[in-house]
Amino acid sequence: MRLDQQPAYVLHARPYRETSLLLECLTRDQGRLGVVARGVRRERARTPRSQLEPFQPLALDLLLRGELATLVAAESSGAPLRLTGDAGLAGLYLNELVVRLTGRQDPYPGLFDAYARTLPRLVETAELGWSLRRFERDLLEQLGYGLQLDAEADSGEPLDTAGWYRYEVERGPVRCPPGRGHALRGEDLLALAEDRRPSTQGLAALRMTMREVIRFYLGGGELRAWRVLAGAMTRR
Amino acid sequence: MSSSPLLAELIEALRCLPGVGGKSAQRMAFHLLERDRERGLRLAAALDAAMRRVGHCSRCRNFSEEPVCALCAGSGRDRHVLCVVESPTDLAAIEQATGYRGQYFVLLGRLSPLDGMGPEELGLGLLTQRLTEGEIEEMIIATNPTVEGEATAHYLAQLARAGGVKPTRLAHGVPLGGELEYVDRGTLAHAFGSRQVL
Ligand SMILES: [Zn+2]
Repeated sequence: MRLDQQPAYVLHARPYRETSLLLECLTRDQGRLGVVARGVRRERARTPRSQLEPFQPLALDLLLRGELATLVAAESSGAPLRLTGDAGLAGLYLNELVVRLTGRQDPYPGLFDAYARTLPRLVETAELGWSLRRFERDLLEQLGYGLQLDAEADSGEPLDTAGWYRYEVERGPVRCPPGRGHALRGEDLLALAEDRRPSTQGLAALRMTMREVIRFYLGGGELRAWRVLAGAMTRR
Repeated sequence: MSSSPLLAELIEALRCLPGVGGKSAQRMAFHLLERDRERGLRLAAALDAAMRRVGHCSRCRNFSEEPVCALCAGSGRDRHVLCVVESPTDLAAIEQATGYRGQYFVLLGRLSPLDGMGPEELGLGLLTQRLTEGEIEEMIIATNPTVEGEATAHYLAQLARAGGVKPTRLAHGVPLGGELEYVDRGTLAHAFGSRQVL
């Protein structure tokens, strides 16, 4: 199968054979693809390597055969996004999240758009945490692990905005004593559901909750980027 | 195929070198056996010794057969400037191209969660320790201008500031002798973003 002018982002690149790269790409129609880019590590490659860096909107011509696709041509379809400083680290986290939670050649129709929406947010706002929580919510939704954010687990009763909850993976919000560790206000869960920025304490608790959920779907593993982000954040 | 299993094994072993395929490996093996046995033996001895005895310097992580490499141990280098590079190859490039006279630190990689490279793998604990020794005043961050290299640079800059050290970054942009029209978009955007007051 041939894909022409397929909207895509490079998530990761590693050297492959002598002069090639093995790319992990997020494509609009085919989900994540492993793509062999032949000869791009040569000094005078037709597609310069810098064009295949992450965070650049690309249009790819691909030949899909078997497990890996082959890159036929790549052109940028917009100005590259400059994710500098903490935004760069957040971007690497985003990419690890997508690679670790999705399989190759599993198309998730809304995932590409959710990803493409998030990158400019990382560039434009100082609210990195909020942008990441929104993406995690959308990613889980796309994968079929959508969170139940507006009703209590089991009973399905609407959340009490002033009540305290703990989010149980695969179940939903359960009442708990206030103010401890992962405890969340009902209004913060509802804010995430309705795409309004939660309170600052709410965001911190949501970060821990999302980690627990993601850890569960990783099969208990950790993301490397968590340690990188933790190292960067504790130093200020 | 081959009349000698040892020869076949030599050819196979030579293929581990970058850029060496089956044909070149065979040519090299035949060359050594036919015309250059003496130097072949020297190569074998050097390879054996280097593979066994070359490790990493305990201060800069560059290749060294001593616990502390000559560059770190020597008195001829400026102890107030530290240049951080991704690889020994980058260190060699800077040594050859510039008149830099300071010290180095080699990360042996870059921050890359998907490659399993985090702060520990890059020896950042050791780097922090060197920054707190108090001699270093400036840390030149010479990681590559890739997404991962930039993220690493940002992380290192925070580390330097926390240790009271001034971080500086290599300038990146339009290549010397280049023309804007032919520079790729990413490079041009980067050069534009990091323009300087004249
Ligand atoms: Zn050394």
